[in-house]
Amino acid sequence: MAFLVLLGPLVTGAIQKLKARLQSRTGASVLQPYRDLTKLLRKGTVEADTASGLFRMIPVLVLAATVAATALVPVVRAGSPTFPLGDALLLLGLLALARFLMAVGALDAGGAFGGMGASREMTIAPLVEPVLMMVVFSAALAAGTTELGTLAAHRGSSWLFAWDAADFLGFAAMIVLLPAETGRIPVDNPDTHLELTMLHEGMLLEHSGPGLACMVLASHTRQIVTLGLVSSLFFPVGLAVGAGATALLFGVTAFVVKVALLATYLALVESSYAKLRLFRVPQYLGVGFVCALTALALRIL
Amino acid sequence: MTVGLGMMAGCYGVGALGALLAPLSGRLALRVGHLAGLGGAVAGIGVALSVLGGAPGMVLRQPLPDLFPFARMSLAVDGLSAFFLLVVSLVAVAATIYGPAYLQAHAPDAGATRAGVQVVSLNLFLGGMALLCCAGDALTFLLAWEGMTLASYVLVVSEDEDGTNAQAGLLYMVMAHGGTALLFVAFLTLTERAGAFDFDALRAAAAGLDPAGRNTLFFLVLLGFGTKAGVVPLHVWLPRAHPAAPSHVSALMSGVMLKVAIYGLLRFAFDLLAPVAAPLPVGWGWTVLVAGTVSAVLGVLYALQQHDLKRLLAFHSVENIGIILMGAGLAMILWRREAGGGVLATVALTAALLHTVNHAAFKGLLFLAAGSVLCRTHVRNMEELGGLARRMPWTAGLFLLGAVAISALPPLNGFVSEWLTFQALLGAASRSHGPAGLGIVFAAAMLALTGGLAAACFVKAFGVTFLGRPRSAHAEHAREAPVSMILGMVWLGALCVFLGVAPGYAMRFLDRPTASLLHGPGASAVVTAHGPLVLATGLTGAGTEATTISMTAISVLLVVLIALAWLLRRGLGHAPRRCAPTWTCGMSPSARFDYTATAFAKPLRMVFAALYRPRRSVIVESAGTPYVVRRIRYAGEVVDLAETQIYRRVEVGVTRLAQSIRRRSSGRIHVYIGFVLGTLFVALLFFGVRR
Repeated sequence: MAFLVLLGPLVTGAIQKLKARLQSRTGASVLQPYRDLTKLLRKGTVEADTASGLFRMIPVLVLAATVAATALVPVVRAGSPTFPLGDALLLLGLLALARFLMAVGALDAGGAFGGMGASREMTIAPLVEPVLMMVVFSAALAAGTTELGTLAAHRGSSWLFAWDAADFLGFAAMIVLLPAETGRIPVDNPDTHLELTMLHEGMLLEHSGPGLACMVLASHTRQIVTLGLVSSLFFPVGLAVGAGATALLFGVTAFVVKVALLATYLALVESSYAKLRLFRVPQYLGVGFVCALTALALRIL
Repeated sequence: MTVGLGMMAGCYGVGALGALLAPLSGRLALRVGHLAGLGGAVAGIGVALSVLGGAPGMVLRQPLPDLFPFARMSLAVDGLSAFFLLVVSLVAVAATIYGPAYLQAHAPDAGATRAGVQVVSLNLFLGGMALLCCAGDALTFLLAWEGMTLASYVLVVSEDEDGTNAQAGLLYMVMAHGGTALLFVAFLTLTERAGAFDFDALRAAAAGLDPAGRNTLFFLVLLGFGTKAGVVPLHVWLPRAHPAAPSHVSALMSGVMLKVAIYGLLRFAFDLLAPVAAPLPVGWGWTVLVAGTVSAVLGVLYALQQHDLKRLLAFHSVENIGIILMGAGLAMILWRREAGGGVLATVALTAALLHTVNHAAFKGLLFLAAGSVLCRTHVRNMEELGGLARRMPWTAGLFLLGAVAISALPPLNGFVSEWLTFQALLGAASRSHGPAGLGIVFAAAMLALTGGLAAACFVKAFGVTFLGRPRSAHAEHAREAPVSMILGMVWLGALCVFLGVAPGYAMRFLDRPTASLLHGPGASAVVTAHGPLVLATGLTGAGTEATTISMTAISVLLVVLIALAWLLRRGLGHAPRRCAPTWTCGMSPSARFDYTATAFAKPLRMVFAALYRPRRSVIVESAGTPYVVRRIRYAGEVVDLAETQIYRRVEVGVTRLAQSIRRRSSGRIHVYIGFVLGTLFVALLFFGVRR
């Protein structure tokens, strides 16, 4: 859990660095997100004078909900957990809770930007969530459970060779969804607050200082949770069933490699595509929906 | 325990009689009436818990006085009845605590007559619902059903300022009686065959039905109860009538009255009409599942575009009834069809019943919170509200709690029942092949869409109503609601938290209804097989493992993380905290910069334009030249497809028919007598020849 939270900013830093290199810039260090966070934590806070007491609690709640989701991602161990905590649906539920609270907080300061960001985020989210669930369903139907560890164990170590058509389609849907769920181009642009392009960033606009640090950390964490979800659903390689130092080390290394690969994909997509118009996004997500539905149909029929 | 039944009826009766105090003092009548209602509700909880916690298969029977020469009336409380009685009573407790202060704060100069009428009809309404759940025969059931409908009608029209409530009430009356007529047909068909009115006789009579007759009766009761439950497309009365009633009555109508229709449906489908030792006909479950899915998706989509707080909540009731019906329909499909005596039907029915009580809790809470807003601002349009979280912190916090619960977000109760529904749907899909499986998975995807849209809708509802700046003087001068109203809401809020954080402990109260309906293992034997802290789907065998989650553990984790995040939130340094106006691009901030509900919902309105058929008109008034704009008027509306596509057409048809009849009505009496004679002749010829 702590591992994922600490690793989260590094993934963002790596994506930013790779993007910069692809654009022939030197770019900031991969550690830049950590520096930003510590700086924000030292700063003072400016609050909107119209905001209610809830506004101050929002970063805390958002961060807690997102970090709780990390506890449900199998990083090194497959198989059913010793004590049942939650499954894929609960993980998605916790992410949705974080998003809900963030959108609520955005409306509190009473500026048009926050509302706009919240409105767009809550337009895209209900379209992404069912497709994401369908991808989870298509994996779950094969294993008969929605528990991520058990799902990973069911898929086994011969992962890519055991893929059938439904898995390929499910993965294709996931590829489409990944930028949407992590808030990246072509669905969202994480680098700007410009009202034409922003979704997620607009909701952070009124937060400052340590509160903003919580929100930003939550975004990093959310990203790595999503990547972890994909890798445990489709590439459970390295997830050990047994315990032991070597298994643990191998698992961690494998996890880092998987996340690095997915992060490279995100950086590549972000460097090579333009952001879509907001009302084109449903069509884009429609591709994912069709893939996921076909995957489900193949699994059942 | 029969004492409890007597006490319950007695309290409601005394409450109704409390109206006699109205001529002395309206306030006194309100207090006494609601207090007696509270007593009735507590007695109802007692009765329900004693049956739910009692021996398996226990039925509490109590004969009623013989009011009619042709029928014996009686009460029979079995597991299913007790469960629904519990749901009714739980919300009734909150509503009766909340009621008197609300009615006085909302309309302080309403007059004693209105107070008396409201007290009588509230107690009759509560008593009717309780009686209906306990009814042991068709006559008691129908009388209670009718009493409940009439009492709620009186409450709907009791606060009528400009005639719109009367119109809503009329629509409600017509729709409700249309549904009741179908129920009458179904009941009378059965009682005629049985020669008696009690449910045991009806069950025996139904055993001898042929499949066609059984199907006809089922679809009649489905339509009848569906009208009351607000299943799309029979829902049109609901978003009009529910907001019109006083808010605690809205909470009862949305939270409980719709559930009574679900009770009727379950009673008929699994008990009275079910074939002996054979699965239910395939069409039943599928019809219910499809109707549930359509209601869930359309209900939430229409709710998204509502800007009237109570109307929005009413549309969400359509959605949640849909979710309940999805579970119930799936249970109907699976019952006695699973290989190896599976437990999936139990999971599905548990999900439906759990969502029933969950929806009662959070929808009741939301309506009560909306009522506090209404009684302090007298505004239902959320565009004119805003900034209430600072002025009404308790109400705002409790509304947020309800919003998180209804959006099916962990760790509250809405998530638990939707999780169970998902698990039941997935389990069913993984066991069935072909189009059936795909249909079930598609329903699961639609349920996911529903959850996401509900979250979007409640971000809008909560954010626009409670956050930002006040958009009108009403909102600006709002004060926190009286203590008793907050107490009523806290009761339901605590229920939401309990059912979300520790659902395993509530599961044993679902044992009796699931076991008595499905004749299988009870809910807790399946869902809490790993102890009360862990929820499991119980699907073991055939190469699958049970999915297990622990809401309690995740809640504890959340609390710990919140504490840690709070430490982080305080920051590393000791930098100052200050307040400043929100940046509005250099203009001086005002309430007009706040995002409106219309604007918030606009992207989704565009995405789902095919369903909404939005209409908008913008009128620009300029002063002489087009460059000086004096005023811009914007009007937009979204149509309800069921209304325009079905009801308008029916209305046009009925009007045309009426016109053609009018042309033939000359006003001369002997022509009418001729018509009557002609009808009689044809009827005699037709029926006489057949006999």
